[in-house]
Amino acid sequence: MRARHGSALAGVLLLALAAGCARTGQPQRLSILVPASERPFWNAIGEGFTRATGHAVDIVEGPNSTDLRESLYTASLLAGDASLDVVLMDATWTPKFAAPGWLVPLETEVSEAEQAAFLPAALEAGRFRGRLYRIPVRTDVGVLYYRRDWLEEAGLPVPQTFEDLERAARALQSPPDRWGFVWQGSQYEGLVCVYLEVLRGHGGFWVDPVTGEVGLDRTEARDALTFLVRTRGEHPISPPGVTTYKEEESRRIFHDGRAVFLRNWPYVWRLAQAEGSPIAGRIGVMAMVRAPGGRRSGTLGGWGLGISRFSPRRAEALAFIRHAASLEGQRALCRDSGYAPALLAAYDDPELRAANPFLAELREIHAAAVPRPALPRYALASDVLQRHLSAALAGVRPVDEALDDAARDTRAILGVAAAP
Amino acid sequence: MTRGTERTLLVLPAALLLAAVVVAPVLRVVHLSFHEVGLEGAVEERFAGLDAYRRSWSDGRWLQALRNTAVFTGASVACEAVLGTVFALLLHRRFRGRGVARAIVMVPWALPTAIMALAWAWIFNDSFGVLNDLLLRAGLLDRPMAWLGDTRTALFAMVLADVWKTTPFVTLVVLAGLQGIPESVLEAARVDGLSAAQRLRHVVLPLLAPSLLVAVLFRAVQAYAAFDLPYVMTGGGPAGSTETVSLYSYQSYFRYLDFGYGSALAVQGMLLAMLLAAAAVALSRRGGAA
Repeated sequence: MRARHGSALAGVLLLALAAGCARTGQPQRLSILVPASERPFWNAIGEGFTRATGHAVDIVEGPNSTDLRESLYTASLLAGDASLDVVLMDATWTPKFAAPGWLVPLETEVSEAEQAAFLPAALEAGRFRGRLYRIPVRTDVGVLYYRRDWLEEAGLPVPQTFEDLERAARALQSPPDRWGFVWQGSQYEGLVCVYLEVLRGHGGFWVDPVTGEVGLDRTEARDALTFLVRTRGEHPISPPGVTTYKEEESRRIFHDGRAVFLRNWPYVWRLAQAEGSPIAGRIGVMAMVRAPGGRRSGTLGGWGLGISRFSPRRAEALAFIRHAASLEGQRALCRDSGYAPALLAAYDDPELRAANPFLAELREIHAAAVPRPALPRYALASDVLQRHLSAALAGVRPVDEALDDAARDTRAILGVAAAP
Repeated sequence: MTRGTERTLLVLPAALLLAAVVVAPVLRVVHLSFHEVGLEGAVEERFAGLDAYRRSWSDGRWLQALRNTAVFTGASVACEAVLGTVFALLLHRRFRGRGVARAIVMVPWALPTAIMALAWAWIFNDSFGVLNDLLLRAGLLDRPMAWLGDTRTALFAMVLADVWKTTPFVTLVVLAGLQGIPESVLEAARVDGLSAAQRLRHVVLPLLAPSLLVAVLFRAVQAYAAFDLPYVMTGGGPAGSTETVSLYSYQSYFRYLDFGYGSALAVQGMLLAMLLAAAAVALSRRGGAA
């Protein structure tokens, strides 16, 4: 059965097979596929692991694109390929890989006390239907950057609500040279991340994790999207091209001193505060603002490790995951890269603090992190939402129609009945 | 050994290789398109008949992808055929630096599509893009446009990038065709008193038709299968206005793990491409006979 699947996926499969071949004998040799850009950090983790256990680790360089690595992993797991022992997973992959039984459940191996050592939201992203499949090794969370210097000069307080943000943006902007608010509006996963923060800020939800109800056709969801549409409406605070922006397009505008507010991820901080940056020492960071009745939050991203069910080296794979998630492993991963660790103790580590002073703020912001819904068909649900959000933002469809359709399509994907 | 068996034996390795890497996967995809593949617990195939096909005919996203692909293919191939022929005629003339000019014209064709797609995405950017800067300076725009952010312009921005990238291919093929036109034929036309425009209209273009058709056929099939350009430039947005047939089948298959549906889309895409190619070939036969 599985072999026949392999033939359909021949091209991708060959790649996956070429990525590493299983070897036997003592000590064991583990294999893990990582983005090429992260290789130095994973090498350091692998060396530490080998010193401690005697087992070797092949760090296989994969594409930097998350989508491409997802496809490689999918093809490999679908074919029952045993060569990749440890799976490096994005925050949204757990349900997709766990539902077909491709991952080894870990909750019996990793004690409650061990689990409590991680940022709760980051650990939560590894759960599916009550079982734990993924141990987090780094986290990411959506944040709002602001120009502290401009706000102070104008005597404006740091905004707490969407109204404050709009007011401050309008007061400080002078388009097209200086815009009020830049964010990610292109039709891709980042748009969903932004919308979820604004949605929670209005007290709404996408898919309720407990009841499974879809909240996209509620007033809160409409208010949230209306806010985003208004940012580029008749009196815009966002540039017209914000609907084409991903992370880098928006960051560059902020970095050049041409925007007051920026919604982005923590990686921006290091670049913004680097020597020679025009905005070094002039910015502040916080969680997304809220409306009355809403809550401030950041969409959780980040990476974690799971064990392939087809790996013949499960015990060694688990030992590797433990090592990567230990303080030593977290130092190797986060010190030079600037990534945010998943282990709580790492935030108080003097060595990491010295390398990345931003950790103190990050920890606070991470308290507000919320994972995206755990759906086996997350990719489809997200694409559907992206298209409808994009249609409203591009002005092709009114907000309420776009969201009603999004709610209907999402319910069809989840197989749940419409709200009474 | 007879000549016949020898021939068969010589062709066999290539035939087997093709069967393994082309025929087998195609048959597998056709097979999958009539099945529903469940992934919960264990991988499981259930016969579903034409369900996936029926579903696609009422899937607005698929119909939109078909429309986008048709517009993209038509617009880009038409522009490329005209521009490619004009460039080829210009480059066929003798002038100083012709070798250098020919080399420069070929550069876009040599660049990897993904890289030039990224470059074009920045060119169309509203804040940093050079296109907006030029248009603003020329007074043609009063404020920057987000070319890839508007459903009315995004697909045509993609056409422009494709035309820039693949016109050299048409130029190359047509140029080869031009070099194949015997000087004696043109000489005869000149002796008969035809003007330059008449020679182009009645002698050169008809003789060029076969090579132009080859170029257009290749380009049409390639443009129809466009994947890397929308994947990198827009991801299919805004509002799905640049999603192509290939991109949607890929998403269904590899990201949604909906193998039955993804296969049904791929099969339909393949059939349409074959129809397109068959129509072009039939057209060329008729043209050749005339």
